[in-house]
Amino acid sequence: MRAFSYERPSDLQAAIKAAGTSPDNQPPTQAAAQFIAGGTNMSDYMKLNVNRPERLIDLNKLSEPAMTAIRVDDAGLHLGALVRMADAQEHEDVVRMFPVICDSLRLAASGQIRNMASLGGNLLQRTRCEYFREVSWPCNKREPGAGCSALDGVNRQHAVLGGSEACIATYHGDFAQALIALDAEVEIASAKGSHRMPFADLHKRPQDTPQIETALSPSDIIVAIHVPAGPWRRSRYLKVRDRESYAFALASAAVALDMDGDTVRGARIALGGVATVPWRAKSAEEMLTGRKLDEAAAKEAADTAFAEASGRKHNAYKIPLGKQTLVRALLETQDMKV
Amino acid sequence: MSDAAPRPNENMGEPFPRIDARLKVTGQAPYPADAPIANLAYGTFAVSSIARGKINAIDIEPAKAVPGVLAVFTHREMAGQLEHPKFGNAAASSIAPLDTTDILHDGQPLALVIAETFEASQEAAQAIRVDYAAEQPSATFDAQGTETVAAKEASEQFEEDVAAGDFEAAFAAAPVTIDQRYSTPTQHHNPIELFSTTAVWDGDGLTVHEPSQNVTGWKVELAHQLRMEPEKVRIVSRYIGGAFGSKGPMTSRTAIVAWAAKKVGRPVRCVVSREQSCMTQTYRAETRHHIRMGADRDGRITAFAHEGWEVTSRPDPYVVGGTSTTGRMYDYGSVLTKVSIVKADRNTPGYMRSPPETPYVYALENAMDEMAVALNMDPVEFRRVNDTQVEPIGKKPFSSRSLMTCYDQAAEAFGWKERNAAVGSMRDGDWLIGMGCATAIYPTNVAPCTVRLRLNADGGLRLQCGSHEIGTGVRTIAAQMASERLGIPMDKIEVEMGDSSLPPAPVSGGSVSTASVCSAVIKGCASIRGKLFSAVVSADGPLKGAEPATLDMKDGAITSSDGRSMPMKEAFVAMKTGVIEDYAEFAPDGATPEAVSKLYGGQSEMKGGEKGEKVKYAFGAEFVEVRINTRTREVRVPRIVGAFAAGRIMNTRTARSQLMGGMIWGISSALHEVTEIDPRAARYVNRDLQDYLVPVNADIRDLQVILVPEVDMDVNPAGVKGLGELGNVGTAAAIASAVYHATGKRIRDLPIRLETLLT
Amino acid sequence: MSSNPASPPNGVSRRGFLSGSATLAVATPFVAHAAEQAAPGAAAKDPHAKVAVSFNINGKPYQLGLDARTSLLDALRDHAGLTGTKKGCDHGQCGACSVLVDGRRVLSCMSFAVMQEGAEITTIEGLASTDGALHPMQQAFVDHDAFQCGYCTPGQIMSAVGCVQEGHAENDDDIREYMSGNLCRCAAYPNIVAAIRQARDDMKEG
Repeated sequence: MRAFSYERPSDLQAAIKAAGTSPDNQPPTQAAAQFIAGGTNMSDYMKLNVNRPERLIDLNKLSEPAMTAIRVDDAGLHLGALVRMADAQEHEDVVRMFPVICDSLRLAASGQIRNMASLGGNLLQRTRCEYFREVSWPCNKREPGAGCSALDGVNRQHAVLGGSEACIATYHGDFAQALIALDAEVEIASAKGSHRMPFADLHKRPQDTPQIETALSPSDIIVAIHVPAGPWRRSRYLKVRDRESYAFALASAAVALDMDGDTVRGARIALGGVATVPWRAKSAEEMLTGRKLDEAAAKEAADTAFAEASGRKHNAYKIPLGKQTLVRALLETQDMKV
Repeated sequence: MSDAAPRPNENMGEPFPRIDARLKVTGQAPYPADAPIANLAYGTFAVSSIARGKINAIDIEPAKAVPGVLAVFTHREMAGQLEHPKFGNAAASSIAPLDTTDILHDGQPLALVIAETFEASQEAAQAIRVDYAAEQPSATFDAQGTETVAAKEASEQFEEDVAAGDFEAAFAAAPVTIDQRYSTPTQHHNPIELFSTTAVWDGDGLTVHEPSQNVTGWKVELAHQLRMEPEKVRIVSRYIGGAFGSKGPMTSRTAIVAWAAKKVGRPVRCVVSREQSCMTQTYRAETRHHIRMGADRDGRITAFAHEGWEVTSRPDPYVVGGTSTTGRMYDYGSVLTKVSIVKADRNTPGYMRSPPETPYVYALENAMDEMAVALNMDPVEFRRVNDTQVEPIGKKPFSSRSLMTCYDQAAEAFGWKERNAAVGSMRDGDWLIGMGCATAIYPTNVAPCTVRLRLNADGGLRLQCGSHEIGTGVRTIAAQMASERLGIPMDKIEVEMGDSSLPPAPVSGGSVSTASVCSAVIKGCASIRGKLFSAVVSADGPLKGAEPATLDMKDGAITSSDGRSMPMKEAFVAMKTGVIEDYAEFAPDGATPEAVSKLYGGQSEMKGGEKGEKVKYAFGAEFVEVRINTRTREVRVPRIVGAFAAGRIMNTRTARSQLMGGMIWGISSALHEVTEIDPRAARYVNRDLQDYLVPVNADIRDLQVILVPEVDMDVNPAGVKGLGELGNVGTAAAIASAVYHATGKRIRDLPIRLETLLT
Repeated sequence: MSSNPASPPNGVSRRGFLSGSATLAVATPFVAHAAEQAAPGAAAKDPHAKVAVSFNINGKPYQLGLDARTSLLDALRDHAGLTGTKKGCDHGQCGACSVLVDGRRVLSCMSFAVMQEGAEITTIEGLASTDGALHPMQQAFVDHDAFQCGYCTPGQIMSAVGCVQEGHAENDDDIREYMSGNLCRCAAYPNIVAAIRQARDDMKEG
C-alpha cells in the first residue's frame, strides 16, 4: 500500500474542499484524494495496491445529521449515506415497507461487515473480478488499454449482461439491485452544491472506458438515498450462491410486485450477479404488467430479461441460472403473505 | 452431556476438555507470529508473476527509496549463500528461489524486503519491478510441454503399482462392467493462521518461530540450508493455527528469512499474505482417474482397475498414489493399477489431509455407487457382498476391519431404509432430496517417538515431547495416557510440545501422532511404574513383598490387586527420591535399528498400512442427504452421519471433533474447493478466501458422528488408530451419489457446482 | 445499540507499550481538524509521518504513534502487544480479527487505526473478568469443544458476543447465519452453534 496522509473533516463542505480539484474526467478511484467511510472495500483495495490515494479523507465524522439518519415520510424512505448496512437492514420501517431492501442488505457480506459498511460506500463497491484484484494481470479497468484477462480467462463469476470487449467484470452489490428496482435516487453533494440523480444513472457500463465506473467526480459525496413510496410490501431479494452465506451472488433477483389477485398491476425487477452494473429488467416488468402471473409468464419474463445476454466459456451458465433465479423470485414473491 | 462430549463406550477414553482450552479462549495461546520480540524488523517477499522463464533485470531502487526499508535481497545478493533444499524429506521442494534467475512457477519468491514496519515492507515489495524473459508455461493436464512419468520410476516413495490376478481376462468376462473417468481439482489447505517465519539470532544460534508439523525435521533441514550445526537451530511452534499438511514440509522462505535476519542484524518476522500463500506453500495436486470394474450379477467384483494421473512440478516427483489403498479396499477377484505423474510449470504439491485417499477413494467410491446402480443393488449391500477380512493384493489379513458395523450403525442412525431408491423420487417442496453413502478408510501408521517424563512426589507430572498440537488434541491425549498409567489427575499434568529442543517426535502427518506419542508415553510410564513398584515391594510398608505384576497406580496411590495400597508420596520416600525422571524411546514393531537415531536426524520411519504381516487400516461409513433446488440447482447438505471404528478412542470429545471436521472437509471438497488455474499463464486465479470457498457456519446443519468400539492391539501398544484424516475420505463420493439419486446426473469431476446440474 | 463493552474490562494490559512506538506518539502533532486540512493547494503532509491516535482498549487508554496505513488489527497486535486478535486473511474474508468497537463487532483488518480515534475497543483479552473467571461465551466454547486449533477462536468468540448482543442468536438458524462471517477451517461449526446457544442463555441470566 502506498503511504497516504489522513484527514478527518467535520462537515461536508470541508470534505469536498479537502478532496480539492481533479483533472477533468478523472475517475474518483484514480484521484489523489479519495474518501473512506466503512472501509470494507476501500481498505481491501488499498492493500491490494489497486486504489492508491495520496490523501485519504475519512467521512465518518461528518456532522450533517441527514448523513446518518433513516427517515420515512409521505415521499418515501430516506437513508443517510453513512448509515451502516446493519442499521438499515433492521430498521422497522424498512422491514415493513420494503422487504426487498431489507433482504438485499441481510444477504450481503457478514454481520461484522454490515456493522461497518456504509450504505453509500456499499453502492460504490468495486468489482471483485480476480484479474482486477491482482495487479499483475492486464486489466482495462485498472490500466486502460492493457487488455482484459477475464474475457478468455477463468470467468465463471463474470457478467453476461452489460459487458463489452474491454470488460466483463460483475458488479457484485446486492443493495443496489433493490434500489434500482424501486426507482431510487441518490443525493450528491459537490463543490457546485447538492443535486439528485436517478440511482440508475450512477453506475456506468464499461463500454470502452471500464475505468469510469460511476457518474461521480472525485469530490462528489453521496449524502443520501431516497426511495420513493410505493406498494412494495410484496417484494423480496433472492440470492443464489455457491455456499449458504457470505458469498457473492452467482445470480440474484430483486422483485417487487403489486398484485390484483393473480394479475400483475405493477412489477419491478432487477438482476444481480449477472451484469456489469446494477441491472434493471424493464422489458420483463412491462411484459408482466397486466398479465396473470404463473409459471409460463414468469418464464417468459425471464427470457425477456436475458434476451441480450451473452456468455463466455465459464459464465454461460449464468444465462439459464439467471432466468431460473428470476422465475423463482417472481413465484416466491407472489406467494408472500403481506 | 453435550453432543461435543460423547459418552465413552467399552474401551474408549473420557471426553476430557482440552488442557489448553483456557489459553485458546482467552487469546493467550502463543501462536508463532504472536511471539513478542524486541527490535523486530518486518519482511515481505516480492514474487514472480510469470510461471516460466528468466529474470532479465530486477529493479529494487523504488523499494529501497521507501522510508523505513532496511534491505532488499535478490538473487544478486543471495546466489550461493544457501544450500539447496532437499526435496523428499522435510523440505517442500528442491526449488531454491533467490539462488537463480530461473523461474519455475508462478509466485516464486524473487526478492525479500526488510523494513522497520510491516507497512513499509509491503509498500516496498509492491514497488519492485521485474523485467522477465517469459516462456510459454505448461499449466496442468492436457497442456503442451508437460511430461508424463510412471510414478514407480520417478519416486522412491512410490514402490509399486499393486496388482493381483488377471484383470483383463476377468474384466472381459464380467457380465456387468463400468468404465469411467473421474477427476479432482487443485486444492489449498488454507489454514486460517497465515504462514509466517520469525527468525531471531543470538550469536551463532538461531531460533525460528514458525508454525510447523515437524520441528525436528525442520531443525535439521534448516541447518542444512544455512550450513550450520543442527544443534544451533531451534524451531518453536507451540500452537499451530490449523495445518492439514500445509505446515509439514518446510518451504524455502524459512532459510531465506533466517539468512536475511543475520544479514541485517535484527530479528525478522515475515507473515505471508493469503494471496502469496497458495504459490509459496504446497497444495493438493489435481488428479485424474480411469476406473474399470467388472462384477457378477450377484454383485461380486471380479475385476478392478484403477489408473491415476497427478500433476507435480518440473523438478520434484511428488506422488499422491492412492492405489495401494483402493487396490486393497474390497474383495476384488483381480486388480490392476497404475500411477503416473505429470510434470508442469507449477510449484511442488504436497500432502493435504488424507493425501492419497481423498482423491483416489473418491474415484473408487463414486465408481462403487455407479456399479451398484448398474447391478440394481442397494449400495450398502453391494459393499457387504464385497467386504473382506483379507486384502486381495498380498492376501494378508486386516488387523481389524469393522467396515460393515460402521455401515450398519450409520445406516440405522441415518434412516437409510426410508430412502426410496428410485432416482428423483424424493422431494420436499421445491427441493429435490438425494441420499448417498460411501466408505471412509485411512491407513493406520505409527512412527518412532520419544518423551521425557518428570514425576514428583506430589503427583505433579511434566511431560515433554516434540510433537505438535495442530488442533488434534494430542497435548490433552498425551496427558490422559499418562494420567491413566500413573494414576494422577489431569490437572497435575503439564505438557510441553512444539519445540525442537524437546525429545523428538515424528512429523504430525499420516495420522501418526496419537498412536506414536501415546506409545512412547506408555513406555515412559511403564519405566516409572517399574521403578516405584520395585522400591515399594522391597521397602517397609504396606506393599512389602507384593508381586510387582499385581501392582497398579490409581488415584495418587500404588495399589495391589489384593486391595493393599500406599500413597505415591510414601513410595517416593521408600525410593529415597524427590523426582523420578524418565526418558523413553518408542520404536514400532518392524522398525529398523536406526529408527530412533533417524528420528533425531529429522526422519520419521512410519510403519503400518499395507506393510507388515497384517494390514492396518481404520474404516468408516458416511451417509449424506443433499437438497437441490429444482430451479436454481444449488446443492446443500443438511444432514450427514458418519460411523467410524479406529481402534481405541483416547478421548471421545477430541475424536468426535476431528471426525466432524473431517466430514465437513469432505463436504467442502465435494461442493466448494477448487484452486482455479489460468491455463494461458499457469497462474492461480482465486488466491484468497473470497474466491477459494470453504463452508461457513450456515452450510452445516445436522451432523452426527458415531464412534464404533473396536479393539486392535496389533496396531501399536496404545491400540490406537489415527483418525484425523479418516473423516474426509469418501464424503465427496457419498455426495456425488446423493446428487445422482436426486437428479439422475452422475458428476465425476469435482467440485459439484450448480452449473453442472442446470437443466 | 449498546455502547458498553461486552463485560467489565480487566483494565490491565500485560504487554502494554511493548513496541515503543507509543512514546513516539506524544511528540507527533495530531492531524484531526478539517480546518487545517482543507486549504486548497496546501502542500500534502509527509505521508510517511507518524500519526497520533488515542483510544481505549479493554478500558485502558492507549496513545499510539502509527503509520497511517496501520490497520486496527496490526495496531492491536504489533503496537499494543495484544496478540489475541488474529490475522487470517487481512481482507475481511475470514473473521479471525473480529473485535468490538463501541460495542459492535467489526473486522479490525478492514479499518485503519487512525480512524478509531476515541473509540472503545474490546478484544479477547478484555473479555474475562479481572478475577480470571471466563466470560460465559468463553466457558461455553470450552464446554462444547467449539474449536480445534484455536486460531479463529478469539474472532469467533468476539463475534459471538456481538451476535448475542445484537439479538441474532435467538435460534440456531440465526446463529448459523449471523456467525457465517467467521470461518473455522477445522470446522467446529456445530459445536460453535451449541456453545453460543448455551452462552446466550447464560448471558441473559447473568
